[in-house]
Amino acid sequence: MPRLKSISIVCTLLVFICNSSGLYSQNTQIRGFVDALAGLQKGKVSFSLGEQDLFITSELSDRFSFLGESVFRFTNTTPTKFSVSIERVVIKYNIAGNHNILLGKHHTPINYWNDTYHHGRVLFPTIFRPLLFDANIIPLHTTGISLQGQNLGDMKFGYDLMVGNGIGSTDVLDNDKRKSITAAVHLKPVEGLRFGLSWYNDVITKGAATHDGMLLGWTVNQNLFTGSIAYFGDKFEVLAEGTTGTNKTDTTGSQHTTAAYIYTGFKIKEKIVPYLRLDNLHFGQGEIFYNKNNTTSIVAGIRYNINYVTALKLEYQHQHGEKEGDTNRLTMQLAIGF
Amino acid sequence: MTFQTFSIPVYRKYLSILLLLFAGLIINAQDVTLTAISHPRGAPAIMKMSDLKSILKGEKQRWSDGTKVSIVLMKTNTSTGEITCQKIYSMSGDKVKRFWLGLSFSGKADAPTFCNSVAELESIVAQTPGAIGIIDKVSTGTGIKIIMVDGKNSF
Repeated sequence: MPRLKSISIVCTLLVFICNSSGLYSQNTQIRGFVDALAGLQKGKVSFSLGEQDLFITSELSDRFSFLGESVFRFTNTTPTKFSVSIERVVIKYNIAGNHNILLGKHHTPINYWNDTYHHGRVLFPTIFRPLLFDANIIPLHTTGISLQGQNLGDMKFGYDLMVGNGIGSTDVLDNDKRKSITAAVHLKPVEGLRFGLSWYNDVITKGAATHDGMLLGWTVNQNLFTGSIAYFGDKFEVLAEGTTGTNKTDTTGSQHTTAAYIYTGFKIKEKIVPYLRLDNLHFGQGEIFYNKNNTTSIVAGIRYNINYVTALKLEYQHQHGEKEGDTNRLTMQLAIGF
Repeated sequence: MTFQTFSIPVYRKYLSILLLLFAGLIINAQDVTLTAISHPRGAPAIMKMSDLKSILKGEKQRWSDGTKVSIVLMKTNTSTGEITCQKIYSMSGDKVKRFWLGLSFSGKADAPTFCNSVAELESIVAQTPGAIGIIDKVSTGTGIKIIMVDGKNSF
């Protein structure tokens, strides 16, 4: 009986897929991004290659679609000095209307930046990502399944509900029985404006490796709460996001860490945008999950959108870290899409 | 003095030609009307302009009959494409392309099919259930229907 049941489930799935496929002609597109940089730091000019990002989208059928994103980047530890990483592999099934099921490796839909720009440097408003990404405050990727809805009703409500392998897992195996949960909602009440809130929870087993590669000495119950406001209008651009992380263990209690940034840009001409970004990382005393390094940073720059797939940016960053003290750098980036 | 007697009539002549051309350009930009067309399956026959804009911004995945929404537009470097960008997206052609690049990259919507000619656009719309497109004339093509936007055939 269990065997018959399995066969009937497989047959139902096949019929379902075939019906949704129909005579659909597959539409596949391959596109990419790449960037090159020149930087001045500590009196030395260096040229560098950024990431080469390839992304593929394919409409497999009337309801199934695929999105893949692979990044080639410099990695000093490999024999070729380069490595390839699979950033996203997402198979999407449209259930009904604007509701979808997504399966695969995702950029965790915790905040606006992570769920919007991915590795498309030409789309970034600044050259580098905000510090909360570099400090590994949020899990950038999650492999799992999610339910997504978007542009619902007059307020253009959207949601993401994701269950995935938690922190310490790989893309092919979860390290424990506990799954991570992400719940995110957003509203787009007027053109260009978006408000977002999200919650992430995971119980990370003792001995698991954190994003920083640190092995945990305790089992940690982690909750992340994120709020974001994004406005990209004809003249002004504002993007502000903040995440509060609570890491709780039975022995050390709860530690709270806050990471936030605010970006603002003003278009002096349609293609020229001077901008500012302020970042702040504040870790709780006795933080056991993150690498504690209270940091503030100010970025001032100018972006020239040469065309829709070419952007030239010049920016200065002053950063003060608890560990490394003051650092300054001037960077120029040419980012393209192809 | 010779210069003055010769130049004033010439100046007037060229000024009036320039003014006429300028006026013509203004009238041309305001006069060009667009028409929304669709495959017989999918899109409704009547629509509000706000709904049309929302659909053409990739905010709707399926029509009420369940057919998948497919957007077909003229390339942004064609005159119809340029006017579509202005009237529907309130953006330049470059910005519209960037808008779609961002949207398709984030996996939130499928990019439109961009066409070189109205005939190509009409042909794709006629062959694709759920397709909706924008052209610069009241179409007479077979296998397509005209959508009335805010009670009018064109806008």
